[in-house]
Amino acid sequence: MTAPKSFAHPTRRRVLSGLVAGMLALPLALGACGDGDESSGENGNVELSFFWWGGEARAELTEKALDLYTAKHPNVTFKKTWQANQGYFDKLATLTAGDDAPDIFQIDDNYLAEYATRNVTLDLASYQQSGKLDTSKFPKGLIEYGTVDGKLAGLSFGENTQGLVYNKTKLEAAKVPLPTTGQSWEEHIAWAKDAAAKTKVAGTQDPSADYKAFWVWLRQQGKEMYNGNQLGFTKEDVQKWFELWKGGRDSKATPTPDVIHEGNATDVTKQLVVTGKALTSWVWANQMPELQKNTKDQLGVIAYPGDATKQWPRSSMYFSVYRGSEHKDTAVDVLNFLANDPEVGKILGTDRGLPSNLDIRTQVAASTDNPSMKQTIEVVGELAKNFGPAPTVPPKGHSTVRSELIKAAEEAQYGRATPAEAAEQFFAASQAAISR
Amino acid sequence: MATTTARQTPTRPPAGPAASQRRGRPARHKSDGAAGYIFLSPWLLGLLTITAVPMLMSLYLSFTNYDVLSDWESMEWVGLDNYRTMFTEDPSFWHAVRVTLVFALVATPLKLAAALGVALLLNRSFRGAGIFRGLFYLPSLLGGSVALAIVWVNMFNRDGAFNSFLGWFGIEGKAWVNDPDFALGTLILLAVWQFGAPMVIFLAGLKQVPLELYEAASVDGAGTVRKFFAVTLPILSPVIFFNLVLETINGFQGFTSAFVLSNGTGGPVDSTLMYTLHLYIKGWNEYQMGYASAMAWVFLLSIGLVTAVIFRTGKFWVHYSDGED
Repeated sequence: MTAPKSFAHPTRRRVLSGLVAGMLALPLALGACGDGDESSGENGNVELSFFWWGGEARAELTEKALDLYTAKHPNVTFKKTWQANQGYFDKLATLTAGDDAPDIFQIDDNYLAEYATRNVTLDLASYQQSGKLDTSKFPKGLIEYGTVDGKLAGLSFGENTQGLVYNKTKLEAAKVPLPTTGQSWEEHIAWAKDAAAKTKVAGTQDPSADYKAFWVWLRQQGKEMYNGNQLGFTKEDVQKWFELWKGGRDSKATPTPDVIHEGNATDVTKQLVVTGKALTSWVWANQMPELQKNTKDQLGVIAYPGDATKQWPRSSMYFSVYRGSEHKDTAVDVLNFLANDPEVGKILGTDRGLPSNLDIRTQVAASTDNPSMKQTIEVVGELAKNFGPAPTVPPKGHSTVRSELIKAAEEAQYGRATPAEAAEQFFAASQAAISR
Repeated sequence: MATTTARQTPTRPPAGPAASQRRGRPARHKSDGAAGYIFLSPWLLGLLTITAVPMLMSLYLSFTNYDVLSDWESMEWVGLDNYRTMFTEDPSFWHAVRVTLVFALVATPLKLAAALGVALLLNRSFRGAGIFRGLFYLPSLLGGSVALAIVWVNMFNRDGAFNSFLGWFGIEGKAWVNDPDFALGTLILLAVWQFGAPMVIFLAGLKQVPLELYEAASVDGAGTVRKFFAVTLPILSPVIFFNLVLETINGFQGFTSAFVLSNGTGGPVDSTLMYTLHLYIKGWNEYQMGYASAMAWVFLLSIGLVTAVIFRTGKFWVHYSDGED
């Protein structure tokens, strides 16, 4: 009698029991404390575990690059594991809890501070000083953006910046002027309203739930998202931001709330500019090639509205070394190789953002024949000339702040709260999130 | 689960002296016990290592600020803080409780009604009855699966199949899954649709109803409706009870569909933030595993309480026929 039951809902149970099962690994962690010893390292055979997220294409490139390292250092082999973005950080946390974190893992600024402040990541600063990790060709901002509490927690593996992607094909067909860098926010909304009227497609995705758009806008108001471990803005700032976009929605420059909600997914394939439900999307510029793959229309990319020099070079992602790794030196050497070897640069291209090493970036730009990759490099390069200083890497709790912003902005979008109420809710929730 | 074990006890290993005694306690031999434990050992081992120990650990963790990532040593004992925070400082907790209650209280009765209704239809013998039983059971098999939830999301999108269907009748649909007013309703519908498992159990129960009772009722002049309420339901009541307990527990544990529909966020605007999903977000996205453990224990106790209440009410409406023979 019970057999069909337990068959019917395996996943629900698995998730709950998985929660507890993860904890089982803990007593094992107790035993294996002390830091790894490197003396056995260099000449013996070493297997490093290497974990990243991404699609098939990235997996192929990464595997190729790692194989190249093995070809040059036959004693070093890799246990490569990758998966889609979804669930990546759950798995990484579980492995870390079991003291079984990969020797090298990919991470981004949502979580870098979470891992660094909890001492999961190896401080790479000493390797950088001794030259074992060569960052001399890196833009300074990228190194700063990987530094948490004075420790170099991750090596940047790509640079990108905020980019406003627009559907060139549709706009040209309807004879709407293309948007340009330097428009004010109000001008952009007015433009979107006009474009919507002419094309019958919403002019712009409403980015009020998008932390990066909010952040750029804040900086243009002379504020910051964070000052160290504090919020760098006030409740009134949030309210102004929400009101700006309420205006956009009211004037029909943006799609309806349920469509905006679809676009709030971080999944590139669901961006409205790709699904054809809006003429612009607010993305990271390095996503251009990926976006272009998902639509037949021609896309273009410019800076966000307002003063473009308030945008900043952001590290799209990093590789970190696990502090408990038994082969730290080798792991750092692998990172150094991946970041600075010209051959690897050719293999990896701009898949993780523009290469951090400027020499390699030039080389990739010269050799690529992918038009959207070329365009991205040009746009980021153009913007970078005026870039202001980068903010510090977001503090612990940032990923919660991001989801709280989505929640509050959607309250306003669905008309369940006024901009003032939504702002108050977001402000309180994010303060709680980062002071935890 | 108590019902489950109760129902399994009649099955005894066929060999040994116990088999000859159909009723009453089997004669005790020392070796019997040992053999029993040896046969049980895989299950016992599983119970201890992947259920009991982690459960006790999570109880311990619920009094700490354990965060998954940090060293074990930096964990601190915080007493009842997690529980206090949950009840007094976390508005999302109460929101999640509400969402879960709505989900369980609406989906469970509907699902049982659907299961019983279809079971009654399929209880007759007609050509292809087996195929229909299989077809109705199918959604249950796929029930917990992520794939089915994804299909559901696509079906109930603004440009999904469901709205195309409404379009034939000139009705303009909503963006069901992306609208906070309807998202939970869509999930309830998905849960109700998976009525196959209780249906199969109802079918088995219906087969047990003695035909003489119906004949006797006919002789007394009872119509179909009267027969259903006077004969079928009372005889079926233990089965209904069993399904009610299991499906209520399942309802409270709803997770997968909400997780998939909202990309793990509980959105739009927290409308699908089920209790288990909130727990998951606290533990794995915000690294408050101590807090999540506390939530799990409150959850366990609440489900225990609800089940106890159902058992209490059972006295008034569940009729057990006497004996097994």
